[in-house]
Amino acid sequence: MHEESLVRALLNAASDVLKNAGGVRVLSLRVEVGPLSGVERLLVETAFERLVDDTPCRGAELLCETPPLVVRCRDCAHEFDASVLRFACPACGSLGTRIVSGDEFRLIDVTIVADDDAAATAPLTADSEKPTCPA
Amino acid sequence: MPSVTIPVNRPVDASLREQAARMRDEFRRQGTLVVNIVSSPGAGKTTLLEATAKHWGGRRRIAVLVGDIATDRDAERLAPWVPVRQLTTGGACHLELPLVQRGLADLNLPNLEFLFIENIGNLVCPASHDLAEHLRVVLLSTTEGDDKPGKYPKMFRTSQALVISKGDLLPYVPFDASRAVEDARRIQPELATVTVAAHRGEGVAAWCELLEAARSRMLALSPAAAK
Repeated sequence: MHEESLVRALLNAASDVLKNAGGVRVLSLRVEVGPLSGVERLLVETAFERLVDDTPCRGAELLCETPPLVVRCRDCAHEFDASVLRFACPACGSLGTRIVSGDEFRLIDVTIVADDDAAATAPLTADSEKPTCPA
Repeated sequence: MPSVTIPVNRPVDASLREQAARMRDEFRRQGTLVVNIVSSPGAGKTTLLEATAKHWGGRRRIAVLVGDIATDRDAERLAPWVPVRQLTTGGACHLELPLVQRGLADLNLPNLEFLFIENIGNLVCPASHDLAEHLRVVLLSTTEGDDKPGKYPKMFRTSQALVISKGDLLPYVPFDASRAVEDARRIQPELATVTVAAHRGEGVAAWCELLEAARSRMLALSPAAAK
C-alpha cells in the first residue's frame, strides 16, 4: 500500500505552505479522496495520525472529503455521476468519456495560524486533546 | 481564532505527475512509445514480451525494464531476445518513476521505438503510478476468472488495452472472454482488446499491430519524430 508515502507527501506540501506563508502552526488540512483515487480514506487517516506530530504540521487536523466520481461525455458534453462504475454516456451512448473529478487524492487547502501573536492565543490542538506529561 | 486558509488545490503526487508528463513528452519527441504492462502475478507478462521480441526478430528497436520484488529471473528470461534491465523493488508492490529513471540511465539506449515496462504483478497499486507511459496494457489470463475487471476498476479504467492471455486454455477453464471484455468496457469503454496464447505465438501478430498503431498515433502528434 502506498497511503503512507502519499501522506508524507501531503505533510511536506502542507509544511511548505506554512513556511512560505510565514505561519507558525497548521490548524487543518482539507483533502479530497476520490472514489477512484486508488487511495483508501481510513488508511490515509490512520497514517496521518501516526505521522503528523513528527512534522511542522504537528497538531493539525485532517479534514477528508469524498467527491463524487464525475465523468463528462466528449461527444455531447453531458456530465454524470459514474460512482456505479458505468462510464458510457447515459445521454447519447458514446463510449468516449473523460473523468472530470473523483480519481485524485488532492490537497484542497491549508488553514494556518499566521503570526506569533495569534499563536500565543491559540493552543496546539494536539496539546489540548492529549494528556500532558508534567515536567 | 485568527487564522488564514490558503488554497492549494493540487493532487498530492502533483510533482511526480508533472515529471512523468515531461518524460512522456520527451519520449514522444524521440519517437519512443512507452508501454506499461500490468497484471496479477503469473498472468504472462514476461511470456508476452518474449513472444513480442521473437515476432519482431530485431526489426524494431525495443528494450524492456522489468520490475520484480526479488530475483532477476525475468530479466534472465528476456535477455536472449531483447536489451533488458531488472528493477528490483525490495518489497515494494509497484514501480515508481525514480526506479524507471534509474533503469533507463543504466540501459542507456537512445532512439528506441518501443520501451516496455513490465510492472510488478499486482492489479491494485500500479494503477496509481504514472511511469511516463503512452500506453497502459492490462493482461488478464483465462485462469484468473472473467469477473476481475469490475473488482479492480482503477486498473482497467486507467488502461487503454486489455490482453486476454493463455487463450489456448479457453476450452478447459470457466472463463467467458466476452463477459470479461464486457465487464472491462463498462469501466473503460474505449479499451482495445486482443487474445493471445503467447507461448504458441497465437495472437502475437495482432498484439504487435496494436502496438504499431499506437506508436503511429503518437508519431502523428509529433511530426518532428515521424521523419
